This record gives sequence, C-alpha cells and structure tokens, in this order.
Amino acid sequence: MTEHDEKLAYLLDEFRDENADASLDEVMADVNLQYRARRYRMIGEAMRNELPPAVDSDFHNSVMARLHAEVAIEKASKMEKPSQADRPSSLLSWASLKPFAGLAVAASVAVVTVALWQPLQKETGQIDNELVSADQQKVQKLAGQQIQGTAVAVSTRVQTLGTRWKVDREMPGMQQKLNAYLVNHTEYSNSVQGLIPQARVAGFDSQK
Amino acid sequence: MGTNLLDADLVKRVQAGDTAAFDILVQKYQHKVINLVGRFVSDQAECQDIAQDAFIKAFRAIGSFRGDSQFYTWLYRIATNTAKNHLASRARKSPNYAVDVDDAEHYEGESGLKEYANPESLLLTDEIKATIFRAIENLPDDLKSAITLREIDGLSYEEIAEVMDCPIGTVRSRIFRARDVIDKELRPLLE
Repeated sequence: MTEHDEKLAYLLDEFRDENADASLDEVMADVNLQYRARRYRMIGEAMRNELPPAVDSDFHNSVMARLHAEVAIEKASKMEKPSQADRPSSLLSWASLKPFAGLAVAASVAVVTVALWQPLQKETGQIDNELVSADQQKVQKLAGQQIQGTAVAVSTRVQTLGTRWKVDREMPGMQQKLNAYLVNHTEYSNSVQGLIPQARVAGFDSQK
Repeated sequence: MGTNLLDADLVKRVQAGDTAAFDILVQKYQHKVINLVGRFVSDQAECQDIAQDAFIKAFRAIGSFRGDSQFYTWLYRIATNTAKNHLASRARKSPNYAVDVDDAEHYEGESGLKEYANPESLLLTDEIKATIFRAIENLPDDLKSAITLREIDGLSYEEIAEVMDCPIGTVRSRIFRARDVIDKELRPLLE
C-alpha cells in the first residue's frame, strides 16, 4: 500500500485515524489524488451496480464551474449595489427628500415661466412702443391737417385721460386707422406658439 | 453509509467558505444523485441538468444545514424536490412539438430519441462495468474478499479484520491493492 492510499482511506472508507484531517487537506490540494479517488469510488459503485446509465466524468467539473460563475456574479452584483449598511450615511435617502420634491417642481416651473415671460414682455413692449409712437405721430399729423396747426385744437381731439389716450372715434378716418393698427399689432405680436395663449389687449397708452 | 464523519467534516469546511470541500461532496454523491433523479426523469441529459441544479441548491442552502440529519438524506431531499418541481413545471408547459395527423399513428414522442442521445457515454459505462468485473474476477482471493466485504457489504475495516481474522492494517492494504489492480485496467478507459 502506498502513502497515497493511506491518505485516501479516510476519504473513501471513513477510516479515521489521527492523520485524517491532514490527509483530507492533502487530498483537497492534490488533483491527481482526487482523480485517483474518483476512479476508486467508481469501482465500488460499479460493484454495487450504482453507476448511472451514462457516466459523465466531467459532471462535477460542470457543477463547480456553474457554482464559481454564480459566486462571481453574486460578488459583482454586491459591488454594484452596495447594501443599505454600506451606503455612506451623508447621502440623504429618497424618503427624506420626498417632501421637497413638490417644492422643487414648483420652483422649476416658476423659473421657466419667469425666464420665458421677461424676454417676451421686453420684445412685445418694444414693438408696442414703436407702434404707439408711430400711430401717435400719424394721428397727430391727421389731426393737424384738419385743425390747421392750432395746438389747442389738437388737444380737443386727442387728449390724455389719466395714463390713457382718448381718441375721438367720430373723427373721419379714425376708425379705419385704429383698425389698421389692430391688424398691424396682430401681425407683429411675438407670442410663443403652443406655449402661451395668444391673448392680447390692444390699446393706446401714454406710458407704454 | 457509515457514521459519515467525513461528510460532517466536509460540510463544516464548506460552511467556513472552502468551496473545494463541496467539490469532494459532489464527487462522492454525484452518481447517487443522478440515479435518484433518474427515477423521475428518463432522459439522461435532463437528469444530469436536474442533478446539477440540486447540487447548486444544496450549496446555496448549506449554510442553514445544522447537521440534524445526515448530509446525504438532506441532499437527497433537495434532489427529489428539484426533480418533482422540474416535472411539475414541464407538465405546465404545452408540448413544443407538432405532429402531423398522418404521422401521429407512427409517432412515439421525443423521449425515446433523447434517451439515446449520447451513445458514447452509454457505451463507456458498459465498458467500465465489464472491465471492473473482469479485473475483480482475476483478483487473488484475499484481495477479492477484502474489497467485496468493503464495497458490497459495506463493512468497516474493523469488521473486515474480524471476519478475515487479520490486522486492520492488512485489511486496508488488501483493499487498496485490489483497487490498484482494478484501476490499472480502468484508467485507460477514462483518460
């Protein structure tokens, strides 16, 4: 009997002596000894008629390969998803942030609205002012033609009341002029299609 | 199965994180588990897949194994449940093959084909058995008796020593000499 056989006595025949643990360690570290043990075990299985119909000598390798793959995947997934305990404590959880989410959304909407409204107001304001001043000049010119240069007479037809112009609508051609202004205003109005409804009020204003 | 001190030692090692110890357990019980699953599933390839699943499940659950029962009874229970679950899930699935009405009379299903899907391994198994039995027949009587008492009757070294009226060391030597002689015939088939 060889020294190798002595080491296999515990593994194959449950013969446990004082060297059993050391022998098991040696067998587990020696692939050739394991291979020999597998053949010896096969002899016993054949004698007891316990061999399966088709012997697959690589079966245990397949099991261990699958097992190692699963262990590797498990380790990788643990590294990707740190557990609750592993997460840094300084990070706020979603639960604690949830009440502020509504506020954040509302603030975002407000910022967008203000950002869009300011340039829009600026642009429309400029256009309105230009139109109003141009119209005022035309109205004054028209009024001047009719009353022949008296400043007092102009003021009777186009007067300021508060901050708004008061126009004499009965004056010939005035209604037509105002309609032209409204058409021009609609053409020049600068609204963002689909975002802000196009609702404008056209009027004469001394401060605009 | 003896007192299974070896199993207990190996299980402890696996529970301590030694995967190589589980490999020894797989090598020890692989054919028993495959045979057990074979009582539920006739197809050999399917049988080996289920046996693999059973070992993987056993590995995952071995941390909770407290040793209240023998390891092999615990493992066999896992293998039995795995095979039963496999059959139940297969029964839920509709058959994935279609048979023409004209051919149905001659159709015997696909299991018969699959059962002989790997004729090489079936042939190898037959050859292994024949080689081993031939080698045993040619053994000297003392070696033949020692290995027969150990492998077929399952006696311990002490019991064999009593039956053969010789020291335990002699029993161990005879058993391993018998194995060595048989192995010389067997090894070329497996290399």
